[in-house]
Amino acid sequence: MFTLPQKDFSAPTTCLGPTCMQDLGSSHGDDLEGECSRKLDQKLPELPGVGDPAMLSSDTSYLSSRGRMIKWFWDSAEEGYRTYHMDEYDENKNPSGIINLGVSENKLCFDLLSWRLSQSDIQRVEPSLLQYADWRGHLFLREEVAKFLSFYCKSPAPLRPENVVVLNGGASLFSALATVLCEAGEAFLIPTPYYGAITQHVCLYGNVRLAYVYLDSEVTGLDTRPFQLTVEKLETALREAHSEGVKVKGLILINPQNPLGDIYSPEELQEYLVFAKRHKLHVIVDEVYMLSVFEESVGYRSVLSLERLPDPQRTHVMWATSKDFGMSGVRFGTLYTENQDVATAVASLCRYHGLSGLVQYQMAQLLRDRDWINQVYLPENHARLKAAHTYVSEELRALGIPFLSRGAGFFIWVDLRKYLPKGTFEEEMLLWRRFLDNKVLLSFGKAFECKEPGWFRFVFSDQAHRLCLGMQRVRQVLAGKSQVAEDPPPSQSQEPSDQRR
Amino acid sequence: MSHWSDTLPVPSGQRRDQVPRDHSIYLQLLEITLYLRQAMREHFVQLMSRQGLSLEERRHTQAIREKEALLSCLIRRMINLLQSEAASDLELQVPLPSEDSRGDVKYGQRDQLSGQPDPVPQLSDCEAAFVSRDLSNRGIDISVFYQSSFQDYNAYQKDKYHKDKNTLGFINLGTSENKLCMDLMTERLQERDMNCIEDALLQYPDWRGQPFLREEVARFLTYYCRAPTRLDPENVVVLNGCCSVFSALAMVLCDPGEAFLVPAPFYGGFAFSSRLYAKVELIPVYLESEVTVTNTQPFQLTVDKLEEALLEARLEGKKVRGLVLINPQNPVGDIYSPDSLMKYLEFAKRHNLHVIIDEIYMLSVFDESITFHSVLSMKSLPDRNRTHVIWGTSKDFGISGFRFGALYTHNKEVVSAVSAFGYLHSISGIVQHKLCQLLHNTEWIDKVYLPTNCYRLREAHKYITAKLKALEIPFHNSSSGLYVWINLKKYLDPCTFEEERLLYCRFLDNKLLLSRGKAYMCKEPGWFCLIFADELPRLKLAMRRFCDVLQEQKEALIVKQLEDAMRE
Repeated sequence: MFTLPQKDFSAPTTCLGPTCMQDLGSSHGDDLEGECSRKLDQKLPELPGVGDPAMLSSDTSYLSSRGRMIKWFWDSAEEGYRTYHMDEYDENKNPSGIINLGVSENKLCFDLLSWRLSQSDIQRVEPSLLQYADWRGHLFLREEVAKFLSFYCKSPAPLRPENVVVLNGGASLFSALATVLCEAGEAFLIPTPYYGAITQHVCLYGNVRLAYVYLDSEVTGLDTRPFQLTVEKLETALREAHSEGVKVKGLILINPQNPLGDIYSPEELQEYLVFAKRHKLHVIVDEVYMLSVFEESVGYRSVLSLERLPDPQRTHVMWATSKDFGMSGVRFGTLYTENQDVATAVASLCRYHGLSGLVQYQMAQLLRDRDWINQVYLPENHARLKAAHTYVSEELRALGIPFLSRGAGFFIWVDLRKYLPKGTFEEEMLLWRRFLDNKVLLSFGKAFECKEPGWFRFVFSDQAHRLCLGMQRVRQVLAGKSQVAEDPPPSQSQEPSDQRR
Repeated sequence: MSHWSDTLPVPSGQRRDQVPRDHSIYLQLLEITLYLRQAMREHFVQLMSRQGLSLEERRHTQAIREKEALLSCLIRRMINLLQSEAASDLELQVPLPSEDSRGDVKYGQRDQLSGQPDPVPQLSDCEAAFVSRDLSNRGIDISVFYQSSFQDYNAYQKDKYHKDKNTLGFINLGTSENKLCMDLMTERLQERDMNCIEDALLQYPDWRGQPFLREEVARFLTYYCRAPTRLDPENVVVLNGCCSVFSALAMVLCDPGEAFLVPAPFYGGFAFSSRLYAKVELIPVYLESEVTVTNTQPFQLTVDKLEEALLEARLEGKKVRGLVLINPQNPVGDIYSPDSLMKYLEFAKRHNLHVIIDEIYMLSVFDESITFHSVLSMKSLPDRNRTHVIWGTSKDFGISGFRFGALYTHNKEVVSAVSAFGYLHSISGIVQHKLCQLLHNTEWIDKVYLPTNCYRLREAHKYITAKLKALEIPFHNSSSGLYVWINLKKYLDPCTFEEERLLYCRFLDNKLLLSRGKAYMCKEPGWFCLIFADELPRLKLAMRRFCDVLQEQKEALIVKQLEDAMRE
């Protein structure tokens, strides 16, 4: 996903956003907003300290109340980020620095990419690229995106450039979609665990919330696998949201899923889409990992490949180059929707989420080069992902640690519950802190709004030497676990995130 | 104006659900509402038809228009809601009443300021958008507002003038872009140092901007703004454009419905920003063209006017959080002296107001006898924690397609809060590298780019102003920016915003895109903004079209006056 590094190790922000918003939001003009948020917030119990007005005191602040909330988002995230950035691992300069297995980035193919991006065909500069252009994106790029998606999503009919809007990344797209599809205070359903940064994307400008569809690791009833999403669970979550007065406008699906690495079958997808249609919900399908399915047997299908969409006017697909082309720093994301109203409305906001004409040109050239993608980049990328995945999963097996991963994405969803004596989120946080103290950065389950404490996301798409060292540090922590657990952890008081708990 | 969308009742999901879902009622209601609207329109047409010429009456007409726009907006929402309810049952079997082509979008838009000129009458796209059942109310607002603001611009994009391929295409003297130095820029951007693909550029950035770029921006601003001490990279946030910076600032400094003061006429893009996302109102501090005892210069900003506007806003119960200044001013082209700047800042400090200063044209001062003083050059700022400076490369380097804007503020709180928007307004690492290289090469900027750019701007300005003088058209701006602010009052009879709009449309019919005063929230009808930073052949052709329109307009006026005289 468009993982924001900070977010990944700053779980609390994801769940605290709305609470915080409510405290500050009461003075907002629109009463309806306030009402919705209050109702939603009653559902968010724990989290003492956050509602504490002292923390967000307005007396001394130069900011508006929403400004303080926004700053708080940033600060709480920033702290974890800073820890890592002040002490980043470097083979030569800082061998004892922190290894980052927490941020979902593909660092396996920089050699291929930097070669491709340095080719002369990509470095074009011409006046039209330097001037204001169509805010939806240059036509040449939208055409290329349409062709690209038609091919790789295996759409039954060619996709059309006028249904494409191009912006500076998936985060912006979530923000824009939330703003144009929902009123302030309304919500999207999202199955958890999910990529937590979405909370902030839809909240910052849009003031839109997420209503969670909690999934379990335990396989019960008709489920065939852990954390399985079913229509029944969707129905229940929707009912609950309604009964709390939260108006739900849509459903967000991430496919391949982050952090589970799971893939929805075409039948499942169809069921979810039919559910959405029944309730007139929009569906945002985030397919940002669609080309990062490295296990061919998995049989991934894009929603754009379905023969007939139940409600094409309410189905909006997102894709970006951040993950599949390992270029999260390039900031390129795209929307595909048949709904012209939605496309136009999102494009209206592109003035604020535009990307440079030069980059648009580069992306068009990159996406056009089907030969290189098919014959060089994808096979190599998949082989490297697979090798890295194999290594980490072998390690985990050797340690007797259960995990989930079905051959897509950059991560493994790891069950460390047995290392938490009481099974609380506080302990999860402490374990995470112990990993960080031992210079390996992971993401903990709470950041994904996982219901059960003790799950961690391990990102494996990194160079072998870093990966080995990272896993070695993980082993050390887990092996030393029993001793540490008996003594009160020394670092507890200086926990950077304590204010967030 | 933005207050509509904030204060109007928004249909509540809960409340809607409590209403029995009897769709025939919705249909009936819909019909009644459409009748109501028709009646309202006719009523307003009657009201407006007796347009007076006195100031008093014009103000009255203005007030009527505003009411009309407000009512239209309300009814639009009702219709929208009713249609969605009616349609959801009937699956659109009944041909639902649709907007006629001169629909109320236009009314709704007329009194709104916008970055781009107002729409010409056909608005089929907008109509489609606002009968949509899929968008939220604010989504509809955004869509309609954007479409109507950018309609003519989009028409231009689709039918651009080209000297060989499309000689009858639009020439755009309405969008503030500098097209004079494309040769220099393209050359510079193709140099070897520009292309660099490093791992770090492809990975997630620091959301405030890559440290190397923030350092370069701090150094650049220290040098070009003549800051007394080195500016700190930690006070810099870079985003994808100045409108993004403004939007983020509006978000973190104001709550929805709160306001900034802005001397008017002013660049309409900010109105767009504050309306679309931030829901912050821009309250114009109206400036006048007439020179009087207190108003020693046309469109002069004084502290008295600021005080008055603030007082008035507060009496109306508005919460004013800040003051927005554009220096060099857009569109009047004034440059604030250090003294007056200081007075404005002290005024702001007195009232605990933030000051956002947009200095995006700071290097486009082409009259050598005039020195621009950046607010960052001041020895001490009255209230440095409330002073926030915006700069970007779009105008000074003529690369609006690059999408780069920077904030400089001493206020760490504001830095942090604006940084949170880094996710949503980020710039590609590849571009950050190029920008860094561009700003770093002071030698090229000082010896090649700036002298050439200023020379070309001066020449283009000279050409345009000579033309305007020949036509005896009064104008402002002799020293900075990419535009002249011209007075076409004498071509309007009566001198109303409606006539201004018609004249604008006549230019458009002649394939010439200009910006009109209304889009800058100018109080007096008849002003236009003309962007001259274009290549001479295009500029010449544009001026020919310009003259043709005015000639026709003049003839029409004479005929009209003769007819009037005959009647008497």
